[in-house]
Amino acid sequence: MMPRPPYGRVRKWRPALFFVLAPLLLGCGQGPSTVVDALILESFRDPSGMLRPEQVHLKANAAERLVGDRPNLGSTADAVWVRVSGWQGAPRNVRVILDNPTLDSIDVFTLDGPRVLNAFRSGAAYGQAEDLIPTFNLPLNESHELWFRIRSTKPVLLPFNLTQVDRVEALRERRDLAVALYTGMVLAILIYNSFLAFSTGQRAYFSYIFVVLTVGLVQWGFNGYDRLLWGNIPWMATNGLTVMGAFSGLAALVFARHFLEVRRYTPQWDRLIQVLLVVYGAALVTALFGLPMVAYNLVNLGALSAPAMLLLSVISWRRGNPSAPWYFVAWLIFLVAVTMQALRDFGVLASTPMTATFMPIGTVLEMLLLSFALGNRINLLKRSSDEANAKALAASLENERIVKEQNAELEARVRQRTEALAKANQGMSTALEDLKGAQDQLIQNEKLASLGQMTAGIAHELNNPINYVQSNATSLRRDLEELIEIIEAHSAALASLAERAPGAEEMVGRARERARALDLDFLVEESRQLIEGILDGADRTARIVGGLRVFGRMDGDQLVEASLSDLLEASITVLGDRARNKARIEVEFEEEIPSLWCQSGKLSQVFMNIIVNAVQATELRWPETEDRRVEVQLKGLAGEDAEMVALEVRIRDNGTGMDEVTRQRIFDPFYTTKDIGKGTGLGLSIVKGILDDHGAEIMVESTPEVGTCFILRFPLHAPGASQTEAA
Amino acid sequence: MADETIRVLYLDDEEPNLFSFKAAFRREFEVHTCDEPHQAVRLLDEHEFHVVLSDQRMPRISGVEFFELVMPDHPDVSRILVTGYADTDAVVDAINKGQVYRFVSKPWNEEELRSVILSGYELNRARVQSAARGTEVLAMLDGVTVELGRLSTELASGAADAVAHVQVGLRTLQETVVEQRHRYGRSIQKERKT
Repeated sequence: MMPRPPYGRVRKWRPALFFVLAPLLLGCGQGPSTVVDALILESFRDPSGMLRPEQVHLKANAAERLVGDRPNLGSTADAVWVRVSGWQGAPRNVRVILDNPTLDSIDVFTLDGPRVLNAFRSGAAYGQAEDLIPTFNLPLNESHELWFRIRSTKPVLLPFNLTQVDRVEALRERRDLAVALYTGMVLAILIYNSFLAFSTGQRAYFSYIFVVLTVGLVQWGFNGYDRLLWGNIPWMATNGLTVMGAFSGLAALVFARHFLEVRRYTPQWDRLIQVLLVVYGAALVTALFGLPMVAYNLVNLGALSAPAMLLLSVISWRRGNPSAPWYFVAWLIFLVAVTMQALRDFGVLASTPMTATFMPIGTVLEMLLLSFALGNRINLLKRSSDEANAKALAASLENERIVKEQNAELEARVRQRTEALAKANQGMSTALEDLKGAQDQLIQNEKLASLGQMTAGIAHELNNPINYVQSNATSLRRDLEELIEIIEAHSAALASLAERAPGAEEMVGRARERARALDLDFLVEESRQLIEGILDGADRTARIVGGLRVFGRMDGDQLVEASLSDLLEASITVLGDRARNKARIEVEFEEEIPSLWCQSGKLSQVFMNIIVNAVQATELRWPETEDRRVEVQLKGLAGEDAEMVALEVRIRDNGTGMDEVTRQRIFDPFYTTKDIGKGTGLGLSIVKGILDDHGAEIMVESTPEVGTCFILRFPLHAPGASQTEAA
Repeated sequence: MADETIRVLYLDDEEPNLFSFKAAFRREFEVHTCDEPHQAVRLLDEHEFHVVLSDQRMPRISGVEFFELVMPDHPDVSRILVTGYADTDAVVDAINKGQVYRFVSKPWNEEELRSVILSGYELNRARVQSAARGTEVLAMLDGVTVELGRLSTELASGAADAVAHVQVGLRTLQETVVEQRHRYGRSIQKERKT
């Protein structure tokens, strides 16, 4: 069972005690004083129930004397005829009363032999209007006989009395007051515990208020007050008490089940409780099917549950149910009250107003004790809940302590780790610096290598034209000397001809002979070609040197305005046979390409690097130079408004190409597919760095065994400006 | 020797160089030029050249490779490598392997190149002559062997005058060998002097 949240300690016994004692005090007050206490009762039974009053005198002899104040004929289906005598001589203001409101029907006849002089009827079955204390006038003639015919489903208990009229009235009033007090107490208990039932939500409380309600109604029934509720319903008028008794039993059993936690402490008793519940259920059913006698007896049978519950509470107590003692005491009081009532009904106890209060007082005490027990139970639950809370609190405090300790330990460890990390970090930054130094060195080496390659290319490129310029000049001097010789011979011959000197003809002949020998025409032609060669060589030299000027200083950082086409051309030129002689390099430059602010030397390095890579890729794929192709393209890229926004350089080769993995890594420093020692793996990494500095993009498309295309895009405007500032 | 025309072949992929070379040396030598390796091979097969010059850096084939190609068929021709840039590793290797006689860098000095060509020619001549002399010696040795065989047969015949005949024959052989030795000794001494 889930413990409900605790409420205030239930303290209700002090006011309740007053209400318990009040009926007792009332009971101890003036009882109905019997004027004639020697009423003589004689009765016979009429099993058929068909006997008419006219025939009674025939049976009068069969009547037997009834003894005691409260003759008890028990439950019987017979009609019981009672002759009441002994009233003769009583004063006129005295009446006969039959103080048993549970009797269903009471017919009173004043008989004179077979003659019915007067007839009167009363009883529970006749409904609301009937007197709770039926009162009957004495016959006027003392020789007449007073006969009562009683039919009842309830025990035929006949407390006849002779009472003065005004005393009857007082008796009624006192009874009303007692019942009102009792009802008040029951209502108080009912309302208070209803509130508790709803606020605690405990099942035991709900069954308890059911018990209180039904027990209260049963007490009402005993006093005939139930007819105020359903006296006008004929069936209920007869069966009301039985039904209430059955409900009361059911309620008591259900309550016991909940309160004593039968399933927990005494599970084997649950079966018995179920059987008893069936008995009460059967009582209700039989009452419903018009067997009121059976029903009443079933209710009485069900009363066995009272001692059973008492025993059950003892066992439950011994099994450690802390609520059981309360229940035992309450139930014991109830049982005592019931027993007293029974003893009174059977005439063992004197029927005094005092003994009449046992039952209501017993029930009220029972209700109160059970209410206390419930309160105590709530307190127990609260205590156990408090204990649980305290345990939980202690546990949480312990947890908190542990967590704190752990936190402290964790903090210490975090501190340690942080220090270790800081140290490691320091070590790493040192390593990083070393690495950067090494990288710088490598980059420097790569630059020097580029420079060396460039120098070699330039030397070769320059030496060829210089060679033929020089050689041609030498040859030309010789040719010129021969030509001069011929010219001199001819001019000498011409002079001697003009002077008409002797031997002039001979001189002319010699001059002609000389010209023929030296092959004048050839000399002229050769000289012309030699001069052409010199001019060509000079031009070529100038172009190479011009290209070199475009490069600027190899490691210069200054920005110059340069034409990309010039740079590309110069790069190819400078690469010389490392490019041209190893592959067919096709150049396609768009015209009117604007110049670009750039670090020309570095860009040349970029172009050379990519072109050399391209050539090498073709060399790996094709054995014949004819098949190796490298295309270098330069074009402008137009923006949205057709204005040129960027320059694009494409360097495409038909070499081996590369797979995706390689393609993604080519710009990584130290990544190389070349053999160890053949490449630093820095070339393209440096290329990327230089292009990044220029705000240029580089893209690579490549397919294995088809070729690779490097696409370089140089923005024309925005980044250039910032670079100017940076420079 | 001086009256013989020195035939020189020059291979270079750059035409201005060919023209320069021809203009410089056409007066002394019979100069043939060519800018195509295959054509050069063909020319070597068709004519007897004393000296072959080749540029080292050419599109399809390097000078060293070209020499390697022609050496088996023309072992005696003097091979001179001309290059614009001292690609030393390759050149040294080639010289050590005997594929190249001399190495000349561009721009060339005309006098130097001339003397290199001339010495190349000398080498060629020497190689050819020594080959011829070798042939001569072998022929003489064959003659001596045949004569010795004849004399030994005659001696074995047991004829009365055999000893006298063999003595005469041996003296003749001795004279022939001494004469030959004298001739070669002079020519070798002469070569050493140059």
